[in-house]
Amino acid sequence: MENYFKTMPDSEGNYGEYGGSYIPPQLQDEMNKITDAYYSISKSHQFISELRSIRKHFQGRPTPVYFAKTLSEELGGRIYLKREDLNHTGAHKLNHCMGEALLAKYMGKKKLIAETGAGQHGVALATAAAYFGLECEIHMGEVDIAKEHPNVIRMKLLGARVVPVSHGLKTLKEAVDSAFEAYLKDPVTTIYCIGSVVGPHPFPMMVRDFQRVVGVEAKEQFSEMTGELPDNVVACVGGGSNAMGIFSAFLDEDETQLYGVEPSGRSFKPGDHASTITYGKPGIIHGFKCYLLQEENGDPSPVYSIASGLDYPGVGPEHSMLNDQNKVNYVTASDEDCLDAFYTLSRKEGIIPALESAHALSYAMKLAQEKPRESILVNLSGRGDKDIDFIVDNYGVRE
Amino acid sequence: MMKDTAEKMKLVTHFIAGYPSLEASFDTAKGLIDGGAYALEMQMPFSDPSADGPVIESACRKALEAGFRVGEGFKLIERIKAYADVPLYVMSYSALVFNMVVQGFADRALAAGAAGLIIPDLTPGTDEGLYEAGRRAGIDVVPVVVPGVSDERLSEIMAEKPDWVYLALRSGITGSYTELDAENLGFLDRLKKYDAKIMAGFGICTPEQIETLKPHCDAAIAGSFIVNRLSEASTEKGGSGIMHAAKDAVEYLLGE
Repeated sequence: MENYFKTMPDSEGNYGEYGGSYIPPQLQDEMNKITDAYYSISKSHQFISELRSIRKHFQGRPTPVYFAKTLSEELGGRIYLKREDLNHTGAHKLNHCMGEALLAKYMGKKKLIAETGAGQHGVALATAAAYFGLECEIHMGEVDIAKEHPNVIRMKLLGARVVPVSHGLKTLKEAVDSAFEAYLKDPVTTIYCIGSVVGPHPFPMMVRDFQRVVGVEAKEQFSEMTGELPDNVVACVGGGSNAMGIFSAFLDEDETQLYGVEPSGRSFKPGDHASTITYGKPGIIHGFKCYLLQEENGDPSPVYSIASGLDYPGVGPEHSMLNDQNKVNYVTASDEDCLDAFYTLSRKEGIIPALESAHALSYAMKLAQEKPRESILVNLSGRGDKDIDFIVDNYGVRE
Repeated sequence: MMKDTAEKMKLVTHFIAGYPSLEASFDTAKGLIDGGAYALEMQMPFSDPSADGPVIESACRKALEAGFRVGEGFKLIERIKAYADVPLYVMSYSALVFNMVVQGFADRALAAGAAGLIIPDLTPGTDEGLYEAGRRAGIDVVPVVVPGVSDERLSEIMAEKPDWVYLALRSGITGSYTELDAENLGFLDRLKKYDAKIMAGFGICTPEQIETLKPHCDAAIAGSFIVNRLSEASTEKGGSGIMHAAKDAVEYLLGE
């Protein structure tokens, strides 16, 4: 069971040929400090027990695994949902934010800086900052600010400063650029809290480790409920944090098939989707190597998805490696598939899912029809409250 | 007069290929050379220049929005080298170099007439084979070092035996003014025990700074200062103003 984690990543943060750290030396110094602090602090008894207590009493963990009975009866298969939508703040993001903020506190940092796409990571980090009494600055593209208004308000209510990013496509990638730049101006008192399993070492490892609680819980809960392991585990992949979280507990289990669902957006034409592993090739973005949707020069391509949390031209380095090793199947779901799943879950089970998570759900529903005898565990990574205005305004309410 | 020239500090001047347009960047290079630059540092624009501050970043973005392609950058080097035989260093980021395949990038840069490569996010040890590719092609790869670097790391870097080393005078990103103090000047002296020649930059915008640096290194680098002067010129005067602005900027820094 522990084999995989003993070897991944290596000491330089490489996942096979992916990952690593491609950053200028003036920044590498700061990353090394974070890496050293992570290794020494996060393994301490005090840190572990403090984080455990936070997860239980503040976040409300463990989140349940729920058997979606109506959905399963209609489609075939047995669909189970890991209810990260019930995690405090309504998504899995708080798992790594509390870990990152606790680390920041131990390191004596005063301020947390990050980017956000859909606003889930921003809200989670603002929550963590409020909990620990730290300042918080969230960079967000103007397009996403307009689309995810409720999350913007939530961040402000929690005391965070929201910095609008107005260049380029004004979405997630530009927000990452802007947040990184702000961090570089004062790396001594601030810490950059990345929102996914991306960026230079140690971020992909740190975020995965903090998200691993999802997989560990789900595996135990599923076994208790059914006496076996799930036949299939499905999660959506933008940067890939919720997927790494749940996959990480099943990577050494040969009988479980893993599926990472990428957004195929409006079409398969460049600029209309963010199916990075499906259509990209290896490249370097934001200080790490991964599959990348890129232009002729090597510049990241414009990407799109109905789900703001998934429109990133790169993807976690570990996902890139797992794809090449055939340990995870990377598949796609379109905007239309996502909306169908969004309505289906809302109406059949009384759960409004986040648009991101609806991508995973959509593929799970397809899988249930193809494999009616098998069990499917879906990481329902977030709830859809944040998306309802956007959906109503753009697509209306279905009868 | 001869003595004066010999004593003058060497100035490495930075500019961005394709900014504010391809043709204007050629004019810029000519202006820099005419103003007395010792060498040129030509940046191939990339959308996420992680070592650069807002001035250079936004200029790179404008060049990319205008449709800049790496191939055009190499052709620009050929034109500049035909204009004057000054050393030209290609500065860019790993994404572009990796995309072209590292050896391919080094070979193409050499063929165009470049003297060296400055790729700040490909550092010895995690360089994707850049230093080896440079040796094979016969082109100098210039490592970037910062004052905080440990002795151990510094000797790892210098083991690559570069002709030149690029010292970033402070941490952070390019653009804002750098105070020259005991720490960064002291570090320059620490570098002297190695054979490599030293170019020092980051936040250089006055002739006084260059004068201060003179006893400590072989060349000073000016970047954001020049780009700023160009962006003022490009909005005020248009095409021909660029060349004069570049020339004036160099002359100002060299105290002429």
